Amino acid sequence: MLRIINGKVYDPANGVDGEVKDVCIDDHGRIVESIEGGRTIDAGGMIVFPGGVDVHTHVAGGAINFARAMTPEDHRRTQAFIRTKTRRSGLGGMAPTTFATGYLYAGMGWTTVNEAAVPVLSARHTHEELSDIPIVDKSTLTLIANNEILLDQLEAGAFERAKDVLAWYIWAAKSYGVKAVNPGGVAAWKWGSDAKQLTSPIEGYARLTPGVIITQLARICEQLGLPHPLHLHCNNLGAPGNISTTLDTLKHLEGSRAHIAHSQYHAYGGSGWDSIRSETTQLADYFNTHANITTDAGAVLFGDTVTITADGPWQHLLYKLTGRKWGNLDVENETGCGIVPYTYRPSNLVNAVQWASGLELLLLIRSPWQVFLSTDHPNGGCFWRYPEIIKLLMRADFRQECLKRLPDKIKKHITLPEIDREYSLYEIATAMSAGPARALGLTQKGSLGIGCDADIVIYEEDDDVQRMFGHPRYVIKQGEIVIEDGDIRETPEGREFLFKPSYSPDTEEFIRPLFEDCYTMSFENYPVELSRIERADVIEGVTP
Amino acid sequence: MYWGGNPAECHPRHFTKYTIMQKSKFLPRGRKDRTMVLVDIRETKSVKAADIFLQVKPGKDFELITILRALIKDQEVRDDHIAETGLTRATLEDLVKRMKAARFGCIFFGMGLSMTRGKHMNSAALLTLAAEMNAFTKFVAMPMRGHGNVTGADVIMRWQTGYPFGITFNRGYPRYNPGEFSTVDVLVRGDCDAAFIIGADPGGTMPQPAIDHLRRIPTIVLDPHITHTSKLARVHITTAPQGIAAPGTAYRMDEIPLPLKPPLKSPYPTDEEVVRRINEAIARKPFWLPDGNQPHMLTSQV
Repeated sequence: MLRIINGKVYDPANGVDGEVKDVCIDDHGRIVESIEGGRTIDAGGMIVFPGGVDVHTHVAGGAINFARAMTPEDHRRTQAFIRTKTRRSGLGGMAPTTFATGYLYAGMGWTTVNEAAVPVLSARHTHEELSDIPIVDKSTLTLIANNEILLDQLEAGAFERAKDVLAWYIWAAKSYGVKAVNPGGVAAWKWGSDAKQLTSPIEGYARLTPGVIITQLARICEQLGLPHPLHLHCNNLGAPGNISTTLDTLKHLEGSRAHIAHSQYHAYGGSGWDSIRSETTQLADYFNTHANITTDAGAVLFGDTVTITADGPWQHLLYKLTGRKWGNLDVENETGCGIVPYTYRPSNLVNAVQWASGLELLLLIRSPWQVFLSTDHPNGGCFWRYPEIIKLLMRADFRQECLKRLPDKIKKHITLPEIDREYSLYEIATAMSAGPARALGLTQKGSLGIGCDADIVIYEEDDDVQRMFGHPRYVIKQGEIVIEDGDIRETPEGREFLFKPSYSPDTEEFIRPLFEDCYTMSFENYPVELSRIERADVIEGVTP
Repeated sequence: MYWGGNPAECHPRHFTKYTIMQKSKFLPRGRKDRTMVLVDIRETKSVKAADIFLQVKPGKDFELITILRALIKDQEVRDDHIAETGLTRATLEDLVKRMKAARFGCIFFGMGLSMTRGKHMNSAALLTLAAEMNAFTKFVAMPMRGHGNVTGADVIMRWQTGYPFGITFNRGYPRYNPGEFSTVDVLVRGDCDAAFIIGADPGGTMPQPAIDHLRRIPTIVLDPHITHTSKLARVHITTAPQGIAAPGTAYRMDEIPLPLKPPLKSPYPTDEEVVRRINEAIARKPFWLPDGNQPHMLTSQV
């Protein structure tokens, strides 16, 4: 039992904006009205937030693990975690090891993370890796938009069948939702090509277009009652002029709920690398008029990182552009993956536009319930650098100072210098916690309401917001104090959220022959056993 | 393309299950729709399965790969350089033409490439060749791993420590240096004062000085069988064989985990159970640092 008193509470889910009030936690790690006895934390002069929720990150699975193998030179120079009685050893850096990932997230007050890209084939691996990430609660999204069995159903126009197949895959992967990456483009990459036009048939198919995949998947996700709508990585990522593709994609989603991942990478104008410019105003306008769509920024921070994405063709281009290491993983029948280490430089025009675009989206989209803090870790920057972004959002003068480091010619390519909006603490709490929790459909997260999980972070009020958000005084996970005075005290295991959609009982027998025709493993070995997932929290879908 | 490997004998299911025999949506005639090239220094049993066999002179793999990298980009290559590899210009030009004409090329390389003259430089060169082929068509490359669950060990070490092998924890956090911290080097130098061996038989494969050191120190072996290592060990704990009498997970070479479902029961404990009990016993001992002398995080390493 725990009582937090005298703290200034920011709880956007319940409209609490800096009120001084008490928060009580019972023995089950839930927030309650009042308690008898127990420890009291005097949070006088401190601010109290719901624990952070990362809507889009890559912390476990075949891809990030491949990235770890590819970057030993970074591990050598990075932060090391030395083994203690309660803490396992590990390494931070661009692709932190699992234990370090948990410590780093919790260390800045984040308590729930959503691993946004899991192929069903390596889901078993991903769950085992996730169970080695301590403290935080987790969920996963299944990569589906290039799955050949599903695409064949969509090509044939068999919508109901496609819905059952998708539901079956979600449960086979023991995941929480659906992620679509470059719909059709990754399938085309198996032929060495890409899918950049939403209305042209995909390589290997007669009629099926990326546009059809997008609209059908969004409909399926709604009809299956997924707590989190379709999580979409649009076609044509990173390319100058891709704003037209992105707006076209949004039109295909008209009327549906959806989450657009890392929209910074999809908001460029211009016709080449020299003329690339930010088109975030157009994109933000769309969000400002369409409340059914949420997004995360995918903001870029200058420095070294490693890019990992299922978008194989894009990574091949990035390899050709940079001449750096390139890893390519083909996941049979399902998806692909590319890994390229990358350095974002302020002196580089494209990188400077990317840096500005991420911040512009966060500032131009008016509702923090619609745009969330993310760097698409590790693609735009590492998650442990979130406090830097918070400072950029809360301090316009600091932004102006940073703009001075950029090349002079940048002015014509971005709109950031004209924006003087500053985030309030209430808005930060929305964009880092309440908003993403709501978008994920995790009702017990991102809120300090009665009955919610007691995931709470307490910061010592400080004018230097980067320092404040980087070093919380207390982090409480499910009622347990895990960080106190800058030290990791306890490392409890987090839960994993799964969603079990309902599907027609003959689906398995329908998939079996198709599966046996094109997969290289046996059908019985394919679905992840529920018993393998430690501390699973299953949400059941209603029968349609 | 198989390079420096002999799958017919070392990975007997590879041809039939994965690479050349399977019929599929885009290759409905199976074997007939595929071309298989084998590169090796001698005629192995795999030659029979190949459409084209390229016999490279021993120790000239790196040169051959470099020549291919030049040829795919239409760069000039001197005749005497080609002659060094033991192959002809016509053969290599034909190979390059076929590689570029392929819709999807896969290169599998074995220890004949990665463990002979040039070692990791050979692997790097071949991976670069595959990467550069993507300018023309889809190409991938993958190593043919050894027996057992070596990929699984590699994968888990990576997620827990960031490195695949050759790791030391002697400063309390993982550090990596193949050639210094690899098992064989630690043993040959005599740097460790105890050894704990699971699912491996270094006594049968490592150099004599390493084996001598294992004999000198307390060596503990977990193995279902009597092995060279178990014979020289101070303690041999017999365990249930994985996949036969013990459940678990094994990783395929492409890092896809497969569940192991044991058909038999064993009177012996599993490796997991033994390790868990040892861990529990160690946890009851005092911590490695005295109380009040806690280690701290390092923010920059030296």
